[in-house]
Amino acid sequence: MSSDTAGPVPTRIEDYPVSRHARRGGLQAVQRRIGLLMLAPAAIAFAVVILYPFGQALALSLFEDTLQSITPTFIGLRNFEQVLTDPEVWGSFGTTVIYVGCSTLGTLVLGLGWALLLNQKFRGRGVIRALTLMPWVVPSTVSAFIWAWIFNSRFGLINGLLLELHLIQVPQAWLSTPEGAMLAVILTRVWRSIPLFMAFFLAGLQNVDTEQLDAARVDGAGNFAILRDHVLPHLRPVLIVVVVLGVIGGLQDFDTIYALTGGGPVRATAVLSVEVYRKAFEQWDVGMASAIGVLWVATLLPPAFFYLRLLVRR
Amino acid sequence: MFDLSSRISKIVFGGLLVVIGFYLFFPIYWMITSALKNNAELYQIIPTFFPHEITFSHFWSAIAESRLLVYLGNSLITSGASATINTILAIYAGYSFAKYRYAGRQPIMLFMLSAQMFPFGLLLISLYPVMTSLGLLDTRPGLILSYIVFALPVATYMLYSYFSQVPDELIDAARADGASDLRIFHTIVLPISVPPIVTVFLYSFMWSWNDLLYSLTLIVSEDKRTIGPGLLLTYLNETNADWGGAMAASLLVSLPIVIAFMFLQRYFIQGVTAGAVK
Repeated sequence: MSSDTAGPVPTRIEDYPVSRHARRGGLQAVQRRIGLLMLAPAAIAFAVVILYPFGQALALSLFEDTLQSITPTFIGLRNFEQVLTDPEVWGSFGTTVIYVGCSTLGTLVLGLGWALLLNQKFRGRGVIRALTLMPWVVPSTVSAFIWAWIFNSRFGLINGLLLELHLIQVPQAWLSTPEGAMLAVILTRVWRSIPLFMAFFLAGLQNVDTEQLDAARVDGAGNFAILRDHVLPHLRPVLIVVVVLGVIGGLQDFDTIYALTGGGPVRATAVLSVEVYRKAFEQWDVGMASAIGVLWVATLLPPAFFYLRLLVRR
Repeated sequence: MFDLSSRISKIVFGGLLVVIGFYLFFPIYWMITSALKNNAELYQIIPTFFPHEITFSHFWSAIAESRLLVYLGNSLITSGASATINTILAIYAGYSFAKYRYAGRQPIMLFMLSAQMFPFGLLLISLYPVMTSLGLLDTRPGLILSYIVFALPVATYMLYSYFSQVPDELIDAARADGASDLRIFHTIVLPISVPPIVTVFLYSFMWSWNDLLYSLTLIVSEDKRTIGPGLLLTYLNETNADWGGAMAASLLVSLPIVIAFMFLQRYFIQGVTAGAVK
């Protein structure tokens, strides 16, 4: 038996001891491997908690899977048929459009306004900027509590104010009326989202060319003209990002509505996220819940596509 | 940016500042003062603006009579752990996307990012049986793992856009000196990346800290419940809602994260908006 240290005699060119890099097809191949190695943990986690459940949910939407069914039975597109002919689901779509549309628009106007105000130099600005983050960082349950208390049917702030002003004669149960409940969830959502929108707009405002503004002012442009002709056009890219993020965030939002109204009264604030939850975890109709979820993804795809294209183009 | 020397512009500026400021800050003020009022003052049809008599009894009862501290502890554990895991995963994935070239890099990245739009409720429907079969239903590790759903895509993107700005020359110079890629990353790139890493950690932490949906569904036992469902089930599911207690508890659970943000908000705003504004 020969000594192991000598090793086999190289017979092929690949076996000659060369640099580690060169042997495996050059530096690039090694780096490719390191890159993939670094990606691997995140990719595995992603596959387990996001990709697999997503694929599973897509599949489930084709099965009848309720408390009554012992094993899920394949029923093709029948869940979708049922969902699409269900006026409650259509109502839910409508509610979602109103909720997401109004809250995104409201946040957009107020967030932009607040950013423009806080972009001016004045004393106490830094403190106000820091405090502005508060509505955003308090837990969603907390913001729902605060607004539920403000809208309280007997001792709420809004009832108190309106009674003081003699605009109403008796306290109103705001959250028990469809309009009042919708107003409350939108106001809460806007309140929570203004800080993030403001942060985006403030960051966008940092890049406005002040020399250009000064030149325009010398030419006699007033504040309004400056805003319309110089500031807003400059903010357009930020505006698009913010709207897309707002729409996605609004669609995903479950906490605000569930904690504040539970989707009620009756179904007045039952947006898609609440609807999926109710179907899946209150009625345990997993197939139907998945079908609604899949349709929801379909509504998310257009803004998602738009958003991704923006990110990629950069 | 705007010229506020004229009187009208001053009035408009001040007026808007007061109106939007009122909307943003008055609810916070209302939470604090409601928590400090005694019940007699709290339950008046016409509320008082300042508390006439300040009482801390709601705080004591929130701490002593409810499981608030248990919920807080659970939230700290689950949010801290999931934010740590998320940050570590995102650091490596972000760096990989930013500095290495391999087949499928762009599609994988786009796909991961698009996961931000998958409805969380829909994922939960399938996560629930997954967690059950892994024996992780109603456990903290199960919840921690599920929280990866919320923040991993955006966290990875934020770090990707940061690492893309780290000059290649820096890395190449170290490479020329014979340092290995992992060594370069750990000893040269990471130390200069603390602010974005803090941002990503906070971002992930906040998602878990705020969560209601997943915790409500994946946790059943009361001793593992986090603050979101904990507060909801303690204060709103009773026939007689205890608003003083609810406001005091709200204030207490908000404090840790508000304080953290007050210190770190500069980093945070830069980090979150960095990718979107250039």
